[in-house]
Amino acid sequence: MKLPNKKGKFGIFGGKFAPETLMEPLAQLEKTYKEIVKSKTFQQELNIYLKVYAGRPTPLYFAKNFSERIGVKIYLKREDMAFTGAHKINNTIGQVLLAKYMGKTRVIAETGAGQHGVATSTAAALFGLKCDVYMGEIDIKRQALNVYRMKLLGANVKAVSSGTKTLKDAMNEAMRDWIATFENTHYVIGSVAGPHPYPMIVRDFQVIIGKETKKQILKIEKKLPDYLVACVGGGSNSIGLFYPFENDKNVKFIGVEGGGKGLDTDLHSATLCKGSPGILHGSLSYVLQNHDGQIHPTHSVSAGLDYPGVGPEHSFYKETGRAQYFEATDQDVLKAFHFLSETEGIIPALESSHAVAWVINNKEIFKPADIIIINLSGRGDKDVQEVANIEEGNL
Amino acid sequence: MKIKDKFIELKKQGKKALIVYLTAGFPDMKFTEDFIVEIEKSGVDIIEIGIPFSDPIADGPILQYTSQISLEHGTNLKDIFSLCERLKTKISIPYILMGYYNPIYQSGLDNFAQNCSLAGVSGVIVADLPLEEEGPLKKSLKNYGIDLVSFLTFTTSERRKEKILKSSSGFIYYISLAGVTGPRETLPDRLKNDLKKIKEDSVTPIAVGFGISNVSQIKEIKDYADGIIIGSFVMKQIIDNKIEELKNILVSFREALNG
Ligand SMILES: Cc1ncc(COP(=O)(O)O)c(C=O)c1O
Repeated sequence: MKLPNKKGKFGIFGGKFAPETLMEPLAQLEKTYKEIVKSKTFQQELNIYLKVYAGRPTPLYFAKNFSERIGVKIYLKREDMAFTGAHKINNTIGQVLLAKYMGKTRVIAETGAGQHGVATSTAAALFGLKCDVYMGEIDIKRQALNVYRMKLLGANVKAVSSGTKTLKDAMNEAMRDWIATFENTHYVIGSVAGPHPYPMIVRDFQVIIGKETKKQILKIEKKLPDYLVACVGGGSNSIGLFYPFENDKNVKFIGVEGGGKGLDTDLHSATLCKGSPGILHGSLSYVLQNHDGQIHPTHSVSAGLDYPGVGPEHSFYKETGRAQYFEATDQDVLKAFHFLSETEGIIPALESSHAVAWVINNKEIFKPADIIIINLSGRGDKDVQEVANIEEGNL
Repeated sequence: MKIKDKFIELKKQGKKALIVYLTAGFPDMKFTEDFIVEIEKSGVDIIEIGIPFSDPIADGPILQYTSQISLEHGTNLKDIFSLCERLKTKISIPYILMGYYNPIYQSGLDNFAQNCSLAGVSGVIVADLPLEEEGPLKKSLKNYGIDLVSFLTFTTSERRKEKILKSSSGFIYYISLAGVTGPRETLPDRLKNDLKKIKEDSVTPIAVGFGISNVSQIKEIKDYADGIIIGSFVMKQIIDNKIEELKNILVSFREALNG
């Protein structure tokens, strides 16, 4: 059975909890998506851009030094080598191209780390659409480099000062924009969150990660991996990697969330580890919330994981046990950030460093013959300044 | 009082409904309570009591602000139900709850419906609960005879419109414009014609909301609807502490709706 079902549900999760005004734009999006995206012309055009513009396929790299240190075989899926420095481009080229096919003249996006904002701005520049990116004031500060990149790309960055001033509120603000502008504007949601059909659309544009990985590992190792490990913010790089292996029951899926200052504090963003089912941003999924159903503020050293919700397909994976979810704390993440830089010469994004940290922290559970694939969802250039600030003494 | 009976009564008097939204707990619960009692006298027909939510995606800056302040004061459903409980004997017009789905969902749908019933709540409006998802809440509310008011707007497709017209009870909340809540000077040109068509198809009363802030707007649309809903405009006056002025303005809205 292929999920989501007609109502956009993954088990009980997902759905379309949207204001009435958006129901028709969402239905239109779903309809066009099904017609256009499945068409040969669209797929051909998309594949060309993914190849010659975004630089796909990204390599599957055997991390020899890292492997020796842990005592298992570790491969890195190098999404950090995709154009603009993260997996986000897979989704934005797809969605902005879709927007163009739909005759929209403007796109909007929310962004946390700024990677999705940069990737949307890039695709908008490429396809000649106007672009406004909503970003929380706190994130604007900690991801200053990406803010400037978006401006260079011709996008307009709109500072969000409401609520927690991070990704959650940037998403609120983007939705409010879209409620008023859907006639000429497509909202490019950056992760597998939001109302149906977004979790499906974003997954479909990200499964290229897992499809390539499967081919690559079968070619190199002649067998499937034992573990797939990815960080989980909204959940798009992880779903993209996991999904093509869904029926390969011996492949374990590990999602790593932002453990912040620890799960015994309130300062984390470990939605699946510590949250409960609720409705946020248009779908029923795990959320971090208080007893009254108000959404909790979150914390993570990485802006891209600093989000109190998660894509509904992950909630479904959690309930069915198909995937397991853990967390890595800020402290361990910073260690992993340095570790990978020093052992492999690869500076990972703080988001991706969560997946690296989980592998380092759990080396005793692996068998020597295990093959582990870590999704290196992005590169760390954007974080260099922030890590320097933190390590100068204010973490 | 049942919403339906209120509209029947108004119809007999040849009047249109003046519906006022207030964020519960802004600036505090005592104000909300006292103000509701007072504006019944200004001729308000139905009160919408807003349940504040941390992430109100359909609201503009004014209601975001009032919700946030109310939450900072710790307002929760329990407080709101005790307010409603007190209103039972203090006012005779219907009062309904309006909010987002998550706080309701977390309280348990049956429990929520039962509390509504005990506190004399006549109806419920949920901004992010469309027809496709309303089933479970509707069922719980129905057991207690409480209305679930649905939204319609110009983007609603014909097929969904028919279903919504059948499903909505109490009244239909017609969203006047594409956008979030917040006062506007004028309403879309399209609105009158859209309302005319809806009224032909609907046996349920139609109330128009979003953007309404002045008498001339009200005069323009009142013949095409059964009532109007005013929210952000009212909360803005409360934020600015223009309480006496607001009461006078509500009286002028009342008059505009009558004549
Ligand atoms: C490099 C990188 N990895 C991961 C994420 C988290 O998003 P997701 O869970 O959707 O992959 C982000 C989000 O900004 C990111 O920039």
